[in-house]
Amino acid sequence: MNIVETLGRILMVEDDPKDVELTLTALEEYNLTNEVVVARDGEEALDYLYCRGSFKMRTNDNPAVLLLDLKLPKIDGLEVLKTIKADESLKMIPVVVLTSSREERDMVQSYKLGVNAYVVKPVDFHEFVNAIKELGVFWAIINEPPPGSIKRKQV
Amino acid sequence: MGGGIRARIATSVRAAVRRIAGANSLAGRAVAPQPVPTLKAVRSAIGHYGLAAVAVAIALGASLLLQRHRLQFPAFLFELALVSWYLGVGPAILAVVLSSLAFNYYFTEPLYTFYVNSTDLAYYIVFILFSLLLTWFSGIRRRFERDLLQSRDDLRKEVAVRTEQASLLNLTHDTIFVRDMGDVITYWNRGAQELYGWTPEEAIGKDSHQLLQTQFPVSLAEVRAELLRASRWEGELQKTKADGSRVVVASRWSLRRDESGQPVAILETNNDVTDRKRREEEVRKLNDELAKRSAELESSNKELEAFAYSISHDLRAPLRHMVGYTELLQKHASSALDEKSQRYMMTILDSSKRMGNLIDDLLSFSRIARVETRQTTVSLDQLVKEVREEMQPETGGRKIAWKIGALPDLHGDRSMLRLALVNLISNAVKFTRKRPQAEIEIGCLEKRNDGVTVFVKDNGVGFDMRYVNKLFGVFQRLHRADAFEGTGIGLATVERIIHRHGGKVWAEALVDGGATFFFSMPGRGR
Repeated sequence: MNIVETLGRILMVEDDPKDVELTLTALEEYNLTNEVVVARDGEEALDYLYCRGSFKMRTNDNPAVLLLDLKLPKIDGLEVLKTIKADESLKMIPVVVLTSSREERDMVQSYKLGVNAYVVKPVDFHEFVNAIKELGVFWAIINEPPPGSIKRKQV
Repeated sequence: MGGGIRARIATSVRAAVRRIAGANSLAGRAVAPQPVPTLKAVRSAIGHYGLAAVAVAIALGASLLLQRHRLQFPAFLFELALVSWYLGVGPAILAVVLSSLAFNYYFTEPLYTFYVNSTDLAYYIVFILFSLLLTWFSGIRRRFERDLLQSRDDLRKEVAVRTEQASLLNLTHDTIFVRDMGDVITYWNRGAQELYGWTPEEAIGKDSHQLLQTQFPVSLAEVRAELLRASRWEGELQKTKADGSRVVVASRWSLRRDESGQPVAILETNNDVTDRKRREEEVRKLNDELAKRSAELESSNKELEAFAYSISHDLRAPLRHMVGYTELLQKHASSALDEKSQRYMMTILDSSKRMGNLIDDLLSFSRIARVETRQTTVSLDQLVKEVREEMQPETGGRKIAWKIGALPDLHGDRSMLRLALVNLISNAVKFTRKRPQAEIEIGCLEKRNDGVTVFVKDNGVGFDMRYVNKLFGVFQRLHRADAFEGTGIGLATVERIIHRHGGKVWAEALVDGGATFFFSMPGRGR
C-alpha cells in the first residue's frame, strides 16, 4: 500500500474500554494508535470538538475522522452526529458510525443526519480487526480530509 | 233527522235518479253525446215540461170520467200539487196555465169555450194564487232537500276519509298517539298498544306522561317551549310499558293548531330504539375493548422492539469481546498452551460464533414481525437466481443437479421473500450434503384460483413425518447439532414470512428419502 506522508487524527467516541482496546489493537499495525483520541461519551466528544472542559487547551483543529458509537452515556451517538452536522464549523468532519446495531432505524436515522459511513462491528475478531484497519487506513491515510484538519508528518 | 223525512228524501232521490237515467238513455239514443251537461239539462227540462202536460191531461181525463161526482176541482189541485212538488217551478206554471184553460173549456159555463165571466174570475184568481203558493213551498222544499243531500254526501265523504286515515294509522307499526294541550291522551293507535301494552280504551283519557312515566333528557318546560316555537320537537325519551319494563324511544312531536292558530293537540310518534341503543352500547364496548387491546398490543410491540434493539446493541458487544480477547490470547500465548488448552479455546470461539449466529437469526426473525412489509411484484425466478449465486461458496465444491421450473411473479415484500427462499434453499443444500449427487428442484404447482404454490424439493436426509408439527417452531431441530449445524430459527422465519403474506407453509418428507417444502401465496401468480 502506498502510504502517504501525512496522517489524520482519529477521534474515537466509545464508552466500552474493551472495544477501545480491541480497536486500538487493530490500528496498531499501521502505527495509527498515537493519532487516536478517545472520548468516553457523547458529552466528552462534543467537549473535544468545541475545545471546552478538559480539552480547553488543545489546538483548534478538527479531527480527520470521527468514529462514533451510537449507544453512549449522557449524549448518545445520534445526538452527537446531529450536533456536528448542524454546526457550520464541524459539519465537514467525516463521521463514521461504528456500532453493534444492524437495526434499520439506526441506519436510516444516521444517514438522514448525514453520516459519511455506517459500519457494523463484526462479532468475528478477524473480521473486526480487518474492518477497523481498513477504516483507519481509508479515513486517516487515503482520504484527503477537509481543510482545517489535524495532520502530522509520517515518521 | 226524522224517519219520515229520511224516507221521503230517499224516495225523491230514487225518483230523481230514475229521471236522470231516463233522460240519459233518451240522450244516448237521440244525438251524439258531445256538449254533454247543458244538453242533458235542456233535455231534462223538456222532459219535465212534457210530464207537466201529461199530468194535466191525466187530471183532465180523470175529471171528465168523474164528472158526475163533481171532483174536477180537487183533481186539478192534486195534479198541480204533484207537478209543483216534483217537477219544479217552470212545469208547475205551465200546469197552472193548462189546467186553468182545460177547466175553463170543459167545466165552466159556457162549456167548450174559453170565455170567462166575471163571477168565475175571482175563482180563477184564487186558483192561481193557491197554485203559486204551492209552487213556492215546493221550491223551498226542493232547496232544503238539495242542501240536505249535499251535506249528507259531504258527511259521508268525510266519514270515509276519516275512517281510512284512522285505519291507516292503525296499520303502521309505529307508535302514534294524540294528546290535548293538557297531555290527556285522545287517540291511541294499534302501534301504541303493541309497544306499551295498553288498549286504546285504557289509554285514552289518561295523562300521557304519568301513564308512560316519561323521562326527558331536558326539562319538560324546555320541550314545550321548543314545541310551541317550532311546532315540532324530537328527541330520545325513556318510557315505561304496562308490564313495567323500560324502553328508549325516538320520539317526534308535532303541534296541531286550530284555524285561529291556537295550539290544540300534540301528535306524538315513538319508535322503539331500545335494541338499537343496546347494540350501539355493545358496539361501543367492543370498540373500547378493541382500543384497549390494540393499545396493549402496541405497547408490547414497543417493548419487543426495545428488547430487540437492546439485544442488537448490548448482547453483541460482550460476545465480540469474548471472541476478540480469546483470539488475542491465542496469538500471545499459543506457544505456552498445550493441545487441550488450544482445543478449549477453539470451543470458546466456536460457541461465541454460534451465539453470534443465534442472535443474528433471532433478530431477523423478530424483525419480520416488527417491520412494515413493502409490497411489490417480485420475480421468483430472479430471486432464486440471486439466492443460488449467493450460495456459491457453499455449493461450489459439490455436485448438485438443480432443476428449476417455471416460476411465477409474486406480490409481496422482496427482502422478506428473499429471506424465506434463502432459508429453504440453504436447508436443501445443507441436508443433501451427504449425497454424492444432490438433486434440488424448485417449481410451482399448477395454478389454482386461490393462489400459487411453490415448492423446494431435495433428495436429502429428509425427516420423520411424526415430528412434522415441530418443524416450523422456533429453536426446534429434527437433527443433532453435530450432524447438521443450525440455529433452529430458519423454518420458523419462513413460516412467519409466509404468514405475513397471508399464505401457508407445509412439508412432506421420508426419513432418508428427501424432503419437499411448500408455500402457498394468495392472489394470482403470473
